[in-house]
Amino acid sequence: MNKLGELAKRIGQLVLVLFLVTLLVAFLMRLLPADTVDIMLPGQPEEFKEVIRQELGLDKGFFGYYFQWLTNFVKGDFGSFYFAGGSETVASHLGNALPKSLLLMLYSQIVALAVSIPLGLSSAYRAGTKFDRAVSGTLFTFSSVPSFAIGLILALVVGVKLGWVEPLGYVPMSEGLVEHFKHMVLPVASLSVGLIAAYTRLLRSDVIATLKEDYVTMAASKGLSDRRILWRHVFRPSSITLMTSAALNMGGLIGGAVVIENIFSIQGVGFEIIYALGTRQYVALQSLIALVAVGYVLFNVVVDIASGFVDPRTRERRGLR
Amino acid sequence: MLKLENLEISFATSRGNLHAVKGVSLEIAAGESIGIVGESGSGKTVLSRASMGLLAPTATRTGTVVFDGQEISSLPREQVRDTWGTGMAMIFQDPMTALNPVRRVGSQIMEGLTVRLGLSKEDARKRAIELLGRVRIPDPEQALKKFPGQLSGGMRQRVMIAIALACNPKLLFADEPTTALDVTVQAQILQLLSELRKELNMSMVLVTHDLGVVAGHTDKIAVMYAGEVVEYASTKDLFARMRMPYTEALMKSIPRLSTPSGSRLPVIEGRLPDPTKPEPGCLFASRCPYAQEKCRTQHPDLTTDSNGHQYRCFFPLGGAQ
Amino acid sequence: MDSVKKSFAFRLTVAWFALIIFFAVFGPLLPLPNWQEVFDDALSVTPLKQGHLLGTDSNGYDILSGIVYGARISLFISFTAVFLGGVIGSAIGISAAYVRGKYDYVVSTLFNVVLSVPNLVLSLALIAVLATNVDPNVPTSTGRRITVLVISLTIVIIPILGRIARAATLSWANREFVLAARSMGSKDRSIIWRHIVPNVLPAIFAVAFLAIGVVIVAEASLSLLGAGVPDGTSWGSMVARGRNDIEFAPHIIIIPLIFIALTVISCNYIGDVIRKQLDQRQAKL
Ligand SMILES: Nc1ncnc2c1ncn2[C@@H]1O[C@H](COP(=O)(O)OP(=O)(O)OP(=O)(O)O)[C@@H](O)[C@H]1O
Ligand code: SF4
Ligand SMILES: [Mg+2]
Repeated sequence: MNKLGELAKRIGQLVLVLFLVTLLVAFLMRLLPADTVDIMLPGQPEEFKEVIRQELGLDKGFFGYYFQWLTNFVKGDFGSFYFAGGSETVASHLGNALPKSLLLMLYSQIVALAVSIPLGLSSAYRAGTKFDRAVSGTLFTFSSVPSFAIGLILALVVGVKLGWVEPLGYVPMSEGLVEHFKHMVLPVASLSVGLIAAYTRLLRSDVIATLKEDYVTMAASKGLSDRRILWRHVFRPSSITLMTSAALNMGGLIGGAVVIENIFSIQGVGFEIIYALGTRQYVALQSLIALVAVGYVLFNVVVDIASGFVDPRTRERRGLR
Repeated sequence: MLKLENLEISFATSRGNLHAVKGVSLEIAAGESIGIVGESGSGKTVLSRASMGLLAPTATRTGTVVFDGQEISSLPREQVRDTWGTGMAMIFQDPMTALNPVRRVGSQIMEGLTVRLGLSKEDARKRAIELLGRVRIPDPEQALKKFPGQLSGGMRQRVMIAIALACNPKLLFADEPTTALDVTVQAQILQLLSELRKELNMSMVLVTHDLGVVAGHTDKIAVMYAGEVVEYASTKDLFARMRMPYTEALMKSIPRLSTPSGSRLPVIEGRLPDPTKPEPGCLFASRCPYAQEKCRTQHPDLTTDSNGHQYRCFFPLGGAQ
Repeated sequence: MDSVKKSFAFRLTVAWFALIIFFAVFGPLLPLPNWQEVFDDALSVTPLKQGHLLGTDSNGYDILSGIVYGARISLFISFTAVFLGGVIGSAIGISAAYVRGKYDYVVSTLFNVVLSVPNLVLSLALIAVLATNVDPNVPTSTGRRITVLVISLTIVIIPILGRIARAATLSWANREFVLAARSMGSKDRSIIWRHIVPNVLPAIFAVAFLAIGVVIVAEASLSLLGAGVPDGTSWGSMVARGRNDIEFAPHIIIIPLIFIALTVISCNYIGDVIRKQLDQRQAKL
């Protein structure tokens, strides 16, 4: 009963937050200085605009409009981009854009974790040595350099000066894995540098704390090698902190991806957002932003549940044995 | 089996050099059991960890440790490690902190078996079940799958004993194996340890702050005070002809069995001297009912009487011989 | 603290802040060409050539002048947004944590809601609606864009600092001296001002410095995306304007990038120093 109550409460909170986030985004779009359709489709005949207004429910007041939009949104109908001649659904754009953005972020997280885990463990293990100080100093600097700066400089050095990788555009996996990764290298590198810095710093301090734990000395007293102790006994508990941090950094990563997609001409969700903004597609913009926010919230929930699942300590605390 | 000669340990701390163990020499023969007794903070844990070579890197150690005919104090850590688990093993003071909270009991027991003894997974499992049965854990198969957080303090302590015994060590350090437990469990665990020791023909160092605990379970007793051995004799001799005022005070204070270790409750009037500030006289002088002028200015050496009974006092009980 | 103050890194940071704040405040008094003056005969000049210390860009604008003027705009935007966001956020956060109850629930839920839209996306959305003219052919003035940018970034900062203020207040509001003051009949307002605010402020400051860094990056990102300030008016928009020149005159974007990066590093460093200080104080308590 207790477990169920807890679960119900959490689901209730989640639904409330999702509801409020979408409401907030819808409300934001109402801050436009004039009627949405007038702004979206300037110079179109009034009758045409009226049709669109009715189609969108903009004639039904704010809440009427919001609930109509929300109902469609939940059903997977994210509205359309409107042009003088007609319209294209946001969903069709997303079908192309979403995989690109998701892959970009997934690769960045994988690269970031793959680099920062050994780096964090070894600099914690050698805390205070020259190696540790060099790593910490370098990472502090990199944690402060925005990803777009890294992206631009990488594009300059690698793409233009050395002529190694064609830095622009996106090539899907189906057109060749090598080409696909070639085009992903620079964007992923730009996005992961900041993450590497954040994760390594976090892991280092967490591992230094864990190394002082009794159970680490206990593991040592079994005669295990330091390497085994680090991976099996120290990294395991610290990895949970790392997961939480990966979730926290997701917001920054999404923002970074918007810019990086635009720098490297990857037509992902960030690119679509800027496109909608530039072409004054406020309905599409509302759905896109709501989608990003909802995705972000859900990602955090998933990580929260997953880390609770991985960590027997919280599992006990929550009574979810 | 184990021979300590003039062992000195100090820690570099923010308050200065902390001299935790001062010139300790002890010897333990094969199959023998020795008790190390002293108040909280007297250096028992540091001494036993130093004997194994398990201290943190902030510690400096001088003197020699000979284990099984090998001078391990001059060996690099990698080679000392080969004796851990199989040669020497330790039961840690606090079963709450000395088991890794995010790894299952089974994997923590089997780890030593597979890594150090090269057992197959299946054999290690069988042996782990056997070990858990030996330390009287009901339903060992189930217990293997549990996380430490799902076990009671007494059960965890039994798991620790099982881990320590896993690789058939020749010498077992039991660092206050019962202080964190309640009274009935304490007696059971001590009984169990004594039985196992005889059965497996191990040597044992039993560390405690309770003279009552060591009485029935050891051949010899070393009493420690402020990092020094102040009295050292066979158990029989010590209780029959106690020489040291400090040991007498320990006897009289009869520690409450429920006093948790590490809580540093003074069981004798007054406090331990500050280990970062060297004092000229007898370290016990400020608390000793027999103290005289000489005690405050001169430091007593360890004296051996005709029975081989050692004590560190100018005015021993029963008069000087 | 003294050892930190004496450290090389700390001095360097202070010197850097002094330099850019000097640029921002006294820029117009410096003997530099106007940032909008075009040198037709000196396009894309590399640094130190033809009397241009940091060179010129492909339009013939003097880069140093642009940096000096950009310092004013970039710092104005970020300091104002963080200051306003900090004041509003702290007021909301402190009062919520002090009052507790329903008000607190509403506030923390709202903070969570706003924080669940990634920073950059939220500010993009705000700018998209606030900086739009009804007539697409009338460009939005730079002044209005700056105002909109400040407003959007302020809104982004409010929940970030508000949440810190709330958490810090929660940890102080039940300390003995606060309870004692309360039991002696002190007014809530005076308790907040005398006991809570001075203790909560350092925590807010530590994060505020980080927030300045975040806002500088956000401003630059937005300008790069064409949603910030136009025409090389801020550091970020200098980068944006120089993007197409990256192949043949990389200094045009690298110089403003260096200014952005060093400023962000300095902010993060100061934030870090304050946080470490706080941790030490906490450890001593
Ligand atoms: N890693 C360390 N760094 C600095 N000082 C230490 C360290 N470990 C122990 N000490 C100090 O050494 C002294 C002896 O500590 P030790 O833990 O050996 O006492 P103990 O006799 O085991 O006490 P207890 O009964 O509480 O376990 C204490 O003053 C303690 O503060
Ligand atoms: S030397 Fe003096 S002070 Fe020390 S124990 Fe003996 S009588 Fe007491
Ligand atoms: Mg101890």
